[in-house]
Amino acid sequence: MKKKLYVPHPGHFDGLKELISEAGKDIYSIFMAGSPDYVGTGRSNLSSPQIEDIREQTEYAHKNGVAVEIVLNSSCMGGRHLTPEGFNLIHWYLEQLDSCGVDTIVVADPFLVEAVAKDFSMKPVVSVLSFVNSPEKAEFYYDLGASSIVVDPDVHRHFDVLHAIRDAVDCELKLLVNEGCLYQCPFRYAHFNFFSHAFGPQPRPNVLTDYYYERCILLRIKDPRLIINSPWIRPEDIHEYADVTNVFKIGGRTHYINWILNCVRAYTDERYDGNLMDLLDCPKDLKDLYYISNRDLDYAINHWKNCPTVCADCGFCRDLTEKAVRMYTGGGTESERLIEWSKIADETAVHA
Amino acid sequence: MITEELLQVRSDIENNLRMLLGRAVMVTELDAFALPCGCNGITANIRGLELDDIEVFEEQMLIYFKKTASRLGIPPSFIFARLIPGSSVVAAINWRVLCDRCYPDFARARGKTPRPDIYIMHLERRGQKGTKKG
Repeated sequence: MKKKLYVPHPGHFDGLKELISEAGKDIYSIFMAGSPDYVGTGRSNLSSPQIEDIREQTEYAHKNGVAVEIVLNSSCMGGRHLTPEGFNLIHWYLEQLDSCGVDTIVVADPFLVEAVAKDFSMKPVVSVLSFVNSPEKAEFYYDLGASSIVVDPDVHRHFDVLHAIRDAVDCELKLLVNEGCLYQCPFRYAHFNFFSHAFGPQPRPNVLTDYYYERCILLRIKDPRLIINSPWIRPEDIHEYADVTNVFKIGGRTHYINWILNCVRAYTDERYDGNLMDLLDCPKDLKDLYYISNRDLDYAINHWKNCPTVCADCGFCRDLTEKAVRMYTGGGTESERLIEWSKIADETAVHA
Repeated sequence: MITEELLQVRSDIENNLRMLLGRAVMVTELDAFALPCGCNGITANIRGLELDDIEVFEEQMLIYFKKTASRLGIPPSFIFARLIPGSSVVAAINWRVLCDRCYPDFARARGKTPRPDIYIMHLERRGQKGTKKG
């Protein structure tokens, strides 16, 4: 069955034109955020297209054979959607999106899954922020009317769970291939709730610093194994998921078009001969720290397909980290070079 | 060209911290700044560093940070770490030449953390050049 790629779009019309002219034939659907004035999303907003922008872009995408998905996947709306005013406002916004011809709406709140399924012709997609990680949860959302479920990446390397989810529901399953977040991330709920408010409807909190992001980056600088055992799916490995789904979503709507096109090419060709960090949506800061040759990870999937994911008893990802992770030193200067991460202490002492 | 010097200094700070700690640290950005009040200096945004690291290696870091300031022509009068409030995460190291208006805010403070996001590594009180912050 032909692979379907859902591709991130930052939200501006010029970006859409570039995506479609460069890679339209490989894109099944683009996805972008809506206006944060109604429902937030799980990411910061580079742009917030208004109704008429969305209408114009949807017409253009459809003319070029590309579907349009709008992401309204706030993980916390503070109960506002359950008030009469909040419900009316959100319902009005959904009506507008429906009238634009939008194909699918990504939502995280079960209430919105049901509301979209019941009242609109556009179809509800269950967000990755609904954390569907079991057949029971998948069934629950399917019964609410979900047409598609983005599976929690934490089970990407639990093939038994993926198969069980596949068997439990008749709707489409999507796999978010390049999120790059921590496996079993302890910050996940709090961080996305924070994003939902910081980039959602007013009033927005005046936050000094994103603690969750800073702590996440610190952990991965101290231990790059946390990048290796993050549940991304390499372009070369997506065929391993053929008996789960043929629908794959590339994360990254806060990136530049050039970055997005590089990912589209990699996942279309199912091959990437470069730094794995180039493909990961998060943590993008660390691509200037680590170089992980994607091809050095060939065949790791054979272990992960049968991985019991009790890391303390295993050591596979730790060994792989020592072999595959290299680190830039002298970055941005004439003496820039790569050193093995495992030898950092020796190397920096010699060259300091 | 000042930016070329900044590129080299960024890399050198990163390498020095890695050597001290024996593990990865990343200086994500090194900026020179000038504020409307008259304060000026440089900021190294850092990832991978915690307050514990500074407390253990403060003496060694300070020697290096003072040399770094001199290398960029900045008087090493006030050096502090900026923390994520409520945590041990270090977000940046700042070398700041305080203006006359801002100086009293820090000079009158007692202890190393006059604000939850600031850990003072070194502050020269005026008239006491060369002495450590008390």
